[in-house]
Parts: sequence; C-alpha cells; structure tokens
Amino acid sequence: MGIIDLDRLTVQLATRTVLSDLTGQLQGRAIGLLGPNGAGKSTLINTLLGFHRPVRGAARVFGLDCHRDSAQIRGGIGYMPENDSFIGNMSGVHFVRYMAELAGLPPEVALERAHEALFYVGLGEVRYRKVSTYSLGMKQLVKLAQALAHGPRLLILDEPTNGLDPVARQRMIQLIKDIREEGSIRLLISSHLLRDIDETCDEVLILKNGRIAALTNIEEERRSNRSFVELETVGATERFSASIRGLGCECASFPGGRIKLVIPDNIESRDLYTIASEQGVQIRRMNQRRDSLEDIFLRAMENGRERTAHGSL
Amino acid sequence: MAVYKRNYSAYTGSVTSVGSRIFVVARYAFAEAWSSKITIGLFTVCLVPCLVFMFGIYLANNPLARSLIGAKGSQFIAIDASYFLRILQTQSWLALVLTSWVAPRLIGFDLADNALPILLSHPVSRFNYLLGKFLALAASLSVVTWIPCLLLFIYQGYSSDLPWVAANLRIAAGLIAGAAIWIGFLSLLGLALSSWVKWRVVATGAIFAAVFVPAGVGAIVSAVLRTRWGFLLNLPFMMSSLWPRMLGAPEFTIHTGRVLPTTAIVVMLALACMVCASMLNARIRAREVVRG
Repeated sequence: MGIIDLDRLTVQLATRTVLSDLTGQLQGRAIGLLGPNGAGKSTLINTLLGFHRPVRGAARVFGLDCHRDSAQIRGGIGYMPENDSFIGNMSGVHFVRYMAELAGLPPEVALERAHEALFYVGLGEVRYRKVSTYSLGMKQLVKLAQALAHGPRLLILDEPTNGLDPVARQRMIQLIKDIREEGSIRLLISSHLLRDIDETCDEVLILKNGRIAALTNIEEERRSNRSFVELETVGATERFSASIRGLGCECASFPGGRIKLVIPDNIESRDLYTIASEQGVQIRRMNQRRDSLEDIFLRAMENGRERTAHGSL
Repeated sequence: MAVYKRNYSAYTGSVTSVGSRIFVVARYAFAEAWSSKITIGLFTVCLVPCLVFMFGIYLANNPLARSLIGAKGSQFIAIDASYFLRILQTQSWLALVLTSWVAPRLIGFDLADNALPILLSHPVSRFNYLLGKFLALAASLSVVTWIPCLLLFIYQGYSSDLPWVAANLRIAAGLIAGAAIWIGFLSLLGLALSSWVKWRVVATGAIFAAVFVPAGVGAIVSAVLRTRWGFLLNLPFMMSSLWPRMLGAPEFTIHTGRVLPTTAIVVMLALACMVCASMLNARIRAREVVRG
C-alpha cells in the first residue's frame, strides 16, 4: 500500500474530463506534483481532499477511499492551499488554534500546538498580530503553520513558494526539508517550479492534460543516469577524441573543438585532463552534468506529445 | 515542549469527535459576532423594550406602585396573551435588526478572505460548517427573543397572586415556538444572503430588502388581483397572523377579513427556507463550481 493509490481515477468538472484514468502508487517521503497549467494538479489535490467525486476509479490515501472516508482522511491531512486562504480578522495564533480544533484537537492542546507551530515556521514574534496585516511570505507561513498544527500524516502543499522573494523561498524550502527529514509526515508538493521539487522531493508525478506523463523516483533516476560531459578544446581534437574513446567513453566531436562525452562510472575528470596534457590539448571549458529534473520533465512532456500525436493518427 | 524550541513533533493525543466540530465552528462564530461593539450596542437596545414590558408587569401586579403613579383599577394593564404577543412582536423585529448586523459577520469574513478551502479541508462537512454558523446566529437571536420573553413570563408568574402560570402555559409554549420559527427563518435568510453579497453593508441592506420588498410586491398583487394570497409574500403580515394563533391571542387580521390559513403560511415559510438552503448549497463550497 502506497501513501496515495490511484486506480483508474477519472474526474470530470461539469462536462470536462480533468483527470483521466490515473493509475499509480505514490510512496515517496516527499512527492512532487508537476505539470503545466491546466494539467490537473489542483484537481488531483482537491480529489484527494474529497472535494471532487471521481466519475470512475478511485483515489486512496493511506488505504482510505478519498470520497467515502473523506472525513477520516482530512483528519490526517494538513493542507496548504495555493491562494490566500485565511481569516484575516483573527490573530495568527487564534487562526491556527481554530484550524487545529477543527482538525480534532482539544481546545487547550490546540492552543499549545498553535504556539508551537507558529514558532516552528518562524512567526512566533508576530503571532498576536491579525493575519490580514501579514506580508505575503508571512501569510504563506501561517498557512503552513495551520497545516502542521494538528500533526498530520500527510502534508499537501499547493505551490508553497508562490509569490515569495528568494530569501523567503529559501526559508520555505528549508522548512519543507526539515519536515521531510523529521520523518513522521509524508509530503505532497505541487509546484510549477522544477527547482523547488528538485530540492525537496524524492518522487515526482508529472501530469499532462489530465494524464500521468511520468511517475518517477527522482533519486533512482539520477543514480541510473550516466554523466554527460561537454568539452571545449583547442588543439588536436580528433586525436584527443580517439584517445578518450580508448578509455571506454562514448564520444562525439563537433566543429570548433567541441566534444560531447558520456563517461563510465570508473572514469574521472582527472583522466581527461591527463590525456589532454599528454597530447598538448587545451581544455578551455568542461561542463559536467547528470540528468536533471528538468530533463525528466521535458522528456515526459515530449513523450506525452508523441502519445497525443499517435493517438490522433 | 516549550514553545521557543523550534522542533516539530507529531501529535499523538486524543481527538474530539467529528460531530463536536460543529460546536467549534459555532463557538468561534459566536465569539466573532460578539467581538463587535456594535453588536453589544444593538443587544443593549434590544433589551430596552423588555425593561419597559417588565415595568408594565410590575405595575400590573403592584397596587401600591399603581397608586403612586395615579393609575386606578386592578385592570390597569392586562397581562394576557395579547400583552406577551406585543413583547414577542417587538423583540422579533428587533431580532431582524440584530440579524442584519450579525449574519454578514459570520459568513462575510470567511468568504472575503477565501477561507472556505482551508476550513473545509479539515474534517468538517459543508453541512456541519453551516450548522455551526446557524447555531451561533440562532443563539445570538435567542438572547433577544424567547429568552427575555420567557423570563418576563416567569416574572409575571412569580408576581401574580393567582395560579397564573398553570393557566397560561400555552403562552409560554407559543412564545418559544413562535420565536423558534422566526429565529430559524431569520438565521437561514441572513446566512444565505450574506453568502451571496460580498460587501457586509450591502448584505445588511439585502436582509431588510428581502423582508420588506416582497411585502410591498405582495400588497400590490393582492390589491390588483383582489386576492388575499398576495399576502403570502408579506412576511410581516404572515408572522403577525401566525404568532397570535400560537399564543392564543386575538388576530388583528380577523377584523380586516384577510385571514391566511396556517398551513399556507407554514408552507410559504418552508419554501422560503428551502430557497435559502439551496442558495447556501450553491455558495458554500471549497472550490468554485466550474460550469460548461
């Protein structure tokens, strides 16, 4: 049983099919939810929260059906919505306490946990101020605090870094990492920003046009990917290429002394410099990279396009 | 754990029952409603007529006090069903004023700040959320309607020499039932209109308009078509017909020949409540409804 199980999940809003036949098991500690606008990310989150009823199939969180057991699921979920969503007339601590009580905490415990959650996210000093007076970054943090206060098993963060400046974004990312490391909470993070997902998640679900374009364990994908190296050289490029092929590298030469390599695990950059030195070749630039989440995402989008093209033929 | 220790710890304690969350919503809504000084002011104003009526009961039961103010005769003021009908009517119309101020505060803040997605992502259904708000508003209206009415009834029973209470229990039952119908209707109407009107001041006006504009339309319909059924749009008229029947007091409409059957009034109120419920159902959602 995964954290989230999707079994041919199909959701329609009015007459439009927004999610179509989603099947998969998400079991990472932090699951990224990626996709272009209109891919169905928010609809999937809303379905998990029981706001939308599937027309076919089912979605399960911790083995509970999202529609039938929605109250039980919501009790174990902390949800941080994408847009502004709070009660501006309340102080931060009052608001978080209210949300914790709604989640089922007794009033005294809810108050204590509200204080703790606000200190944890860094709003301890402003917890008695009205939420409407908070800055955008503080509003994001108070939404995170209310999602955490009742000690959920699954934390759903919808665009958690939306509208944050770089410092606030880094702080939010660090908080998410801390929560992930603490280990008692699983995370589902929806974001447009690949970098956010790359930094915080170990599994990613990529949606496109309401379908699953990729469901990937990022860590495993990275481990299985080989290293690519791009070189810019001056000198006897052909001879140099032949020599590094001899080391077992796949190599392609391009005009202007540019060489692209795929190097095996047992070869290191130092070996390339040694050969270049022996042959009097200058390496002016070396760019070493592995498959990034961006590559995975673009590949998934490309595959989706191919599937769509095949489907329309 | 001390609050300044910035560590996260999972909650492992007990949780309250899902049903009890209704009272969490109600408690916070009640606190929100009464956090305004204007609410306190209105509440004070609403209790002024009760003091006047209480003084009336005091005079009616105290010959010495009557003689001091120069009133003669034991039937200076008759404390009967009509007297309590006047109390109920006065308090009920004051309750409309209180509703127009309190109801928009209960729903308006949540809608203005788009709080519904976050509120309803907790184990609280839309029905429970609305029931909580309804209870908060109904409790607020109770303190100016049936509670003071019943206290005055008890005061009259205490002051009266005769076994007055036993002989007039119908008045007490009528006061409670009449106020309950009015409170239930006003609460639904207030919440429904507040959920559709963004600005609270406009919502206040809309609540008054929803009561008095159809009354005018109903009067025109009745006059033009020469029918009594137009008065089914006239809420003040309907309630003024219903309350005397509940308390056992004479109806003023009997003299004018425009009597509406109780069943028709009840059906009309039920229909109005259903319209309000459907308005709330359409508006109180965690997400915008996508059409087309």
